[in-house]
Amino acid sequence: MPRLIIDEREIEVPEGTKVIDAAEMLGIVIPRFCYHEALGSVGACRMCAVKFIQGPFKGVQMSCMIEAQDGMVVSTTDQEAVEFRKRVIELLMKNHPLDCPVCDEGGQCLLQDETISGGHAMRRFPGPKRTYRDQYLGPFIKHEMNRCIHCYRCSRFYQEFAGYRDLGPMQIGDRLYFGRFSDGCLESPFSGNLVDICPTGVYTDKTARFKLRRWDLQRAPGLCNQCSLGCNTVANAHYRGVMRMEARFNRDVNGYFLCDAGRFGFSYANGDPGLWRRPLFPKIAGEVAGAADALSAARKALDDIAAKNGPGAVAVVGSQRNSLETQSMMNLVCETRGWLGPVFFFDPAMRLKTLSAVHELDGEIAVSMKQIENADFILVVGADPLNEAPMSAMAIRQAARKKAPVVTIDPRPVSLPCDSQHFAVLPKDIESYLGALILKAMGKDAASLGSESENFRAYLGSQLENFNPPESLDQCARLLAASSKPVIICGTDVTMETTPAFAADCVRLLNLCEKQAGLFNLLPGAGSFGAGLLSRTEVPTFADLVEYIENGRVRGLVFAESDPFHCYPDRARLESALSKLDFFLALDYFPSETARRASVFYPASTIFETGATFLNQEGRAQFASPVHCGGEPIRPGEHPPRVYSGLVPGGDHLPAWKALASIAGMEETCPDIAPEKFVPPSIPGFEALGYPVDGQRPALAKSGFKTQWGLNTFDKSQAPLTFELLMVEWIFGTSEFSAWSDSLAPAVLPPLMSISAKDAVRLGLADKDKVSVELAGGELEIVVSVSDRTAESVLIVPRHNGLEWQKSHDFRVFVSSEKIRKI
Amino acid sequence: MLPDQLRSKLREMIAGAESPREKAIDVMYAIQELQGWMNDEAMVEAAQLLAMSPLELEELATFYDYIYRSPVGKFVIKVCDSTVCWLEGQLRLTDYISSRLGIGLGQTSADGLFTLLPVCCIGYCDRAPAMVINKRVYGNLTPEKIDRILAQLAQKADFSGSE
Repeated sequence: MPRLIIDEREIEVPEGTKVIDAAEMLGIVIPRFCYHEALGSVGACRMCAVKFIQGPFKGVQMSCMIEAQDGMVVSTTDQEAVEFRKRVIELLMKNHPLDCPVCDEGGQCLLQDETISGGHAMRRFPGPKRTYRDQYLGPFIKHEMNRCIHCYRCSRFYQEFAGYRDLGPMQIGDRLYFGRFSDGCLESPFSGNLVDICPTGVYTDKTARFKLRRWDLQRAPGLCNQCSLGCNTVANAHYRGVMRMEARFNRDVNGYFLCDAGRFGFSYANGDPGLWRRPLFPKIAGEVAGAADALSAARKALDDIAAKNGPGAVAVVGSQRNSLETQSMMNLVCETRGWLGPVFFFDPAMRLKTLSAVHELDGEIAVSMKQIENADFILVVGADPLNEAPMSAMAIRQAARKKAPVVTIDPRPVSLPCDSQHFAVLPKDIESYLGALILKAMGKDAASLGSESENFRAYLGSQLENFNPPESLDQCARLLAASSKPVIICGTDVTMETTPAFAADCVRLLNLCEKQAGLFNLLPGAGSFGAGLLSRTEVPTFADLVEYIENGRVRGLVFAESDPFHCYPDRARLESALSKLDFFLALDYFPSETARRASVFYPASTIFETGATFLNQEGRAQFASPVHCGGEPIRPGEHPPRVYSGLVPGGDHLPAWKALASIAGMEETCPDIAPEKFVPPSIPGFEALGYPVDGQRPALAKSGFKTQWGLNTFDKSQAPLTFELLMVEWIFGTSEFSAWSDSLAPAVLPPLMSISAKDAVRLGLADKDKVSVELAGGELEIVVSVSDRTAESVLIVPRHNGLEWQKSHDFRVFVSSEKIRKI
Repeated sequence: MLPDQLRSKLREMIAGAESPREKAIDVMYAIQELQGWMNDEAMVEAAQLLAMSPLELEELATFYDYIYRSPVGKFVIKVCDSTVCWLEGQLRLTDYISSRLGIGLGQTSADGLFTLLPVCCIGYCDRAPAMVINKRVYGNLTPEKIDRILAQLAQKADFSGSE
């Protein structure tokens, strides 16, 4: 480890550390524009010049280009270096407009900071400044090329790091222009990072444009709760509205970046003034009521039902977006009061998959996103990273940039921002492909690896008797065999119930072959890991609950941050079941159909207002701090309310878990945020931790093989020309956050049904044809997209908010070919 | 739309390469040969043939002096503006051409014959000042020599025009 002296202070840094980073470890931030840790060094802007006084380099050099070495003595304050940087900033400012007062970057601008730190104030160059025509770059990013200082960060991020090909440098010299070939939406779902990465205001956040100044903002370290990855954010609020999201650096999780769904999908917390208001007032039977009245009305109604029909007639329903606090409180309430639940899952199969994904993940095989970046072979099974957990696709790309082969096994036409070998197979065949691949990669010497590998071989041998995989699988197996740090990324959306457990044992088998293999699960939501941990086997799913309601066993319901109208596949049955209930309560921040129909509605606070703990899909506990008190946002040009009322404008609402505690009569047992007080002791690890439990993995399963292997391999029962209807997620347009965030609306594409090219021929369909698919609940009209990367015998349909997919009536649906008509 | 004959010729050219994009410049040259410059439609089509995004091809096209992204005259006069030619009076010569043709740098004469552009060093320093017109290089330039060259070219254009 090299030791060097920077500004008369000594530091020892890891091998390969650049001098600019070594200085930062001492708290010395050397000015820079083109250098960014994630993008690496190019030495283009010349801003990070320092003076090397002793050691292998001498004189003024770029600190981003030189690795720290023993014996170096560096000065950042040497007169020569200071003069050099002053000249550089003067040149960079030659063309920069003095539009800081109207620029959204003003106050948080690296160029401003470094102009000041460089000591440049008076312009000496009398010539004209070059000007450009700006481009339309879509709903999220505003383009202002005149401000550009040509550091190339944007194109290096966009093309090299993120892997998209529609934004880059054009022209030369003074005409150098960063943009697209022509006006249009940026294709990358990571485009929002341009805002963070641009050192000045060329790319600014269009959703926040002209609304705020950095120094006016309330800022707090937050979390993205839109998918299971738990990316770290900085939430920015102003005048009771959440205004903007920035990425927060976390080495193990999201690095420096965020996806666009996470960055721009916050406006649900404010409501859309044009379309709907966020429900900020409690309601009893649809009428606005005081908070205390609503809580006591709900408490009385539920107590009555429990007294008359027994406590089991009241059930508590959560969802995949509950925080750990809400989940724990639901558990505590159900245990104490004898209520049924908590029900976290709508689909029984999804519950099985999530539970096995959670319970199979042990500390020896769990990997973080950072470890994906360093993998040398990536196997994606039953997962569509870009749509289910976008930032994981970015991590996969980083591995691919370091030449890791990427193999995807999935029925969907999975596309990644890197090269990959795709096997389009039905969900039931995923395990066969995965098993065959592992078996081949283990090779002949696997017999000596112990009983597990022999059992596996024997089991798969019988399962794969008639399996003739394509030759390309052999080639993938050879690459897998040659790897040392492979990672399996396993999804839970379209996979069979057994696949997550099977994938976990495949990782363990690879580890027997002296590899450092890892498992990375993708779960359905931010709260899924917690739901998996806290689910008790005797608790039903919502599908069972509907039956209990129909036969009168359940008479009262509590929906905590849960909307069955979004998640349950049979709307007609849901409506009739809810109408049979004596009473149901909704605690939510979305203006959902459930909230609208509830007997009592209580407006729960969002993650921005009271904070929340989430366990991400690798079991990492992270806490999002509250950023503001919430309430009715004051919109531009508006004045705070002038009328007096007993209702603070939305300001005093509780998080769902506190409201629930109050309704259950358990306020006294309800501590201020402190989940270690009410997370059940059966969950290991929590008691040992303080709070907040940032970045720790408190709850991982015991290691070792589970040998609960797949049972569905090579089930040939599906009749020819019968299609499985696979409901899938899209990055934009399928989630509840997307449904209630108008800021995401412009990015939502119309729904498409993906079918394979062979099936398209069989059905007489062409790309862009509109079809009607007859389902149990009526006809579903949708445009077809034909792909040769889609598996045969499946219809892939997004759970699109603009599509009545709830006509499917079940979680698993098969459709025969005569039910598909071209219209 | 590119003519079918050209498209199949380009396909053949690309098929011979190890990776398609290495033929990017040749493909653009071939298209330019036919239609004089690269319009947006040609860029999109060429990018498709080369398995590149239009932006990636545009990055190349706008980097090189010899790919034209706007219409040019029949003869493109590129006057070297690098150091040695500058020492030898390039500025004066450029002014001379400019006033003779009645066009500034980057402009095309009204008759559509000549476009005047500056260009980086063309390696003709020993015969500076120098210029390139289409694919031919002219050195040791004087106003008289320029008169001669321009007259010849104009005549050639008339001749080919009358064919």
